[in-house]
Amino acid sequence: MFQYIFRRLVQFVPVFFGVTLLLFFVTTILPGDPVALRAGEKKLPPAVYQAMRHQYGLDKPWYQQYADYLGALAKGDLGTSIASGRQVTDIFKDVYPYTVKLAGGAIALEIIFGIAVGIVAAVKRYSIWDTLATLTTSILVALPVFWLGIMLQYFFGIWLKNATGGAFYLPISGVSGVFPTWVYLILPSITLASVSTAYAARVMRSQLLEVSGQDYVRTAHAKGLSVSRVLWSHEMKNALIPVVTFIGLDLGAMLSGAILTESVFNIPGLGWTIYHSIRAYDYPVLFGCVTLMLFAVLFINLIVDVSYAFLDPRIRYGSAAGE
Amino acid sequence: MSNEMDALQGAANHGVKDPRTGLPATPPSGPDVKGEASGRNRTLMGDAWYRLSRNKLALVALAWLMIITLAAISASLWVPRIYGDPVAIDTATVATGALQSPSVAHPMGTDDLGRDMLSRIVYGARASLSVGFMAVFVSVVIGLILGSLSGFYTGWPDALIMRIADVFLAFPYLLFALLLLSVVPKEYRGGIMPVVLTIGVLGWPSIARVFRSSILSVKENDYVDAARALGASDLRLMTRHIMPNAVAPIVVYSTMSIGSAILTEAALSYLGLGILPPTPSWGRMISDGQQYLTSNPGLVLWPGLAILTTVLAFTLLGDGVRDALDVKMKD
Amino acid sequence: MTDHLLEVTDLKMHFHTRDGVVKAVDGVSFTLDRGETLGVVGESGSGKSVTAMTLMRLIPMPPGQIEGGEALFDGRSLLTMPAEEMRQIRGNRIAMVFQDPMTSLNPVYRIGRQLSEPLMLHKGMSRADAWARSVELLELVGIPNARVRVRDYPHQFSGGMRQRAMIAMALACDPDILIADEPTTALDVTIQAQILELMQELQGRTGAAIIMITHDLGVIADMADRVLVMYAGRPVEYGSLDEVYYRPLHPYTWGLMDSIPRAGVSEKQELCPIKGQPPSLIDLPGGCSFHPRCPYAVDRCFHEEPKFREVDGTHGAACHFAGDPDFVRGQIACAGVSS
Repeated sequence: MFQYIFRRLVQFVPVFFGVTLLLFFVTTILPGDPVALRAGEKKLPPAVYQAMRHQYGLDKPWYQQYADYLGALAKGDLGTSIASGRQVTDIFKDVYPYTVKLAGGAIALEIIFGIAVGIVAAVKRYSIWDTLATLTTSILVALPVFWLGIMLQYFFGIWLKNATGGAFYLPISGVSGVFPTWVYLILPSITLASVSTAYAARVMRSQLLEVSGQDYVRTAHAKGLSVSRVLWSHEMKNALIPVVTFIGLDLGAMLSGAILTESVFNIPGLGWTIYHSIRAYDYPVLFGCVTLMLFAVLFINLIVDVSYAFLDPRIRYGSAAGE
Repeated sequence: MSNEMDALQGAANHGVKDPRTGLPATPPSGPDVKGEASGRNRTLMGDAWYRLSRNKLALVALAWLMIITLAAISASLWVPRIYGDPVAIDTATVATGALQSPSVAHPMGTDDLGRDMLSRIVYGARASLSVGFMAVFVSVVIGLILGSLSGFYTGWPDALIMRIADVFLAFPYLLFALLLLSVVPKEYRGGIMPVVLTIGVLGWPSIARVFRSSILSVKENDYVDAARALGASDLRLMTRHIMPNAVAPIVVYSTMSIGSAILTEAALSYLGLGILPPTPSWGRMISDGQQYLTSNPGLVLWPGLAILTTVLAFTLLGDGVRDALDVKMKD
Repeated sequence: MTDHLLEVTDLKMHFHTRDGVVKAVDGVSFTLDRGETLGVVGESGSGKSVTAMTLMRLIPMPPGQIEGGEALFDGRSLLTMPAEEMRQIRGNRIAMVFQDPMTSLNPVYRIGRQLSEPLMLHKGMSRADAWARSVELLELVGIPNARVRVRDYPHQFSGGMRQRAMIAMALACDPDILIADEPTTALDVTIQAQILELMQELQGRTGAAIIMITHDLGVIADMADRVLVMYAGRPVEYGSLDEVYYRPLHPYTWGLMDSIPRAGVSEKQELCPIKGQPPSLIDLPGGCSFHPRCPYAVDRCFHEEPKFREVDGTHGAACHFAGDPDFVRGQIACAGVSS
């Protein structure tokens, strides 16, 4: 068991280096010049320009910069934003709560609706509910997420406002104003959750269907267990395993910056920040945020892997058959 | 479990194998007891086509895709004549014809620069479909090469390639795409090729993995050893024995991938880094139209529906293909 | 009138599929008394498993449908009783053991939990009592160190042990009938022998009746008191073990007997399988379903379906010529094989 965890941790390391290295490498080819961008319209005197480049270590070769970056990382220092001059860690502290709340809300929706719809579709197979569920999930999976967001904005923010004479509507932009913060996250959470929930429902359904055809389910029926007992005790326990893994990985994906959703709804979260740092060639912010995000994602993946071992005894205890 | 129960159980529970897509393309059909006894001679491909043709949903999807493709290819012939140029900006029309509601002359209305929406949508199809097909093509080529190297020559090439694939997969998808697109030099920005290459390069790990596992599972089979014992060379083994088996999952995956490639392109264009004007692109049209949401939601609605129906068609087609090839994939 | 424990008359179970109607079970009849073992023999697709599943009402009812017949268990009809009542019988008074013990046990629950389930459900035992009883049951079926192993998961048991555990689970509530569907087919030959021995021993102790479904004539010879031979969903011959093995009536049975390797015969003797393949259950041949493979078939066999006919007491067969003194088991089928 601990071997399993240890092995997973060990695999984490090369991936981490691989990703950060790749990130570094790609950005050194970036044609943008962050210093010039910060200066804006003003033309910097060459000395100042060089000094600023030196300050940010931009005059060193890329492998040197990488080494410096890793060194600083080990000390917990993620650098300073070129565009704003703020500490990256401070920026991160400001923005990640929004992303976390957004992802949290989305995951909750995904768990509840994804599993429920999947179960209904599987149990009431070939009925109108199943067809409806499959149709809905197919459409959701084919939707551009940002477009869904905009449509929700229109319907709940604009149309509803007009229809109720301005009385009832949901906010569609930013995170502050008339309502408490969480209200601003309602529509974005739904948007973020939508596609994932559709997938989760499908996985739940197909897993349940596959499991119900298994021999041990037949054995359970042969023992005289009631249909609902067979479903909840035997089928669900097996079918949920891949579903839990799937949802867990989804959480990781959501935390890694829901760029599109945050863009549409103007949520100043992690994804939004990273996106803008790309456009502004603000390397320290980019690297810093991506690094932290990577940690989060890989950490969640690790937890998912470990939970998989907990749920499936075949992984927990390797085969130890002996007559 | 005896064979009869297997077949009958299959009849009662026509389950689906791929967890990510759970669409039941066909209601349960009986056990395949006709087989040899009735003497119906079906080849493997013929069998697949037959099953596909019975899947109404997939046929509708295929029909829709062919309509879109034909319209897109032939667009320059008929669109500008009927509905006006989707790209050019004519100051006269801007003044008079901007933001019109749907009418006979303009079934989807006009955009903020007076251009007909319908023609822009049709032209947008060119961009999306080209990106979709070409990007997947790139992924498949790279994926096949690396996947076969990985699967065939186990040992350090396999480990290395799979590690690299892991790194690619660990990187958040959209982020990676945005980064790669930022690297594009100025003169190529906003064109189709950078987007194609980006999505293509990001897509190879999955294809490589699928192909590699096909190879590995086929390698296990005894008939490969038998062929080798008969003196078959590696290349011959690959083409004659391994490829036919590996083809099925790749075909299915590729069809689905075209849909997701189109979604990615739309997202990238929406964020301003994908396909840029003057080339019409559905994603860009959505971001352009967002500011007029209150007054003319159609500017956002139509491009979105276009994306939705196209991707949905690819998904349904992919599901149908997967179910049609199901018997082979079971092996 | 004798009171049989189980009396099945003319059981018919058909599957309605898109491609046609599959007559999986078409007119099966037999009786079973306490302590008796019935062997059901046939090739794959003969309907033997479906018969058992039908009796247990484990067949999904679309697409399956009971088209006729009766099955009386202790006087009550298994086929028409309400589902709730049937559930109380399953696992309790009639229990079943399946072919593949690896897939037939739930991989995520401990053995003890799975054994306890029927005990808690049918006998109302508490969890502690049920676990204790599970340990006893495992010891009964010969699992060493049962107290510890009861907490294991199925994948930690070997194939033979799993099948023992399955048997233990089936016998947990002391059933009147144990249905074993190819219980040893998935096991090694040596383990097979052990499992069969175990079943006989347990039968001796508990007095349960056994329905042993298999394609292996050797197993039948070992265990059965009465034999039912099935072909293409229909009963082809039925009688006591001696009657069917030593005085078989039906050409199919002759074919089966001829096809097994025998001790004491020269090694150079060729094996003699029955020519051809079992028919598709949707597309049954007209007349006698065995006629395409029967070396004795005549014109009548092509057109007229033979009714099952009792020839000597309860020994009977479904052949037009069964029991006819001129219809002798000859050497047409195989040259050079001594009967």
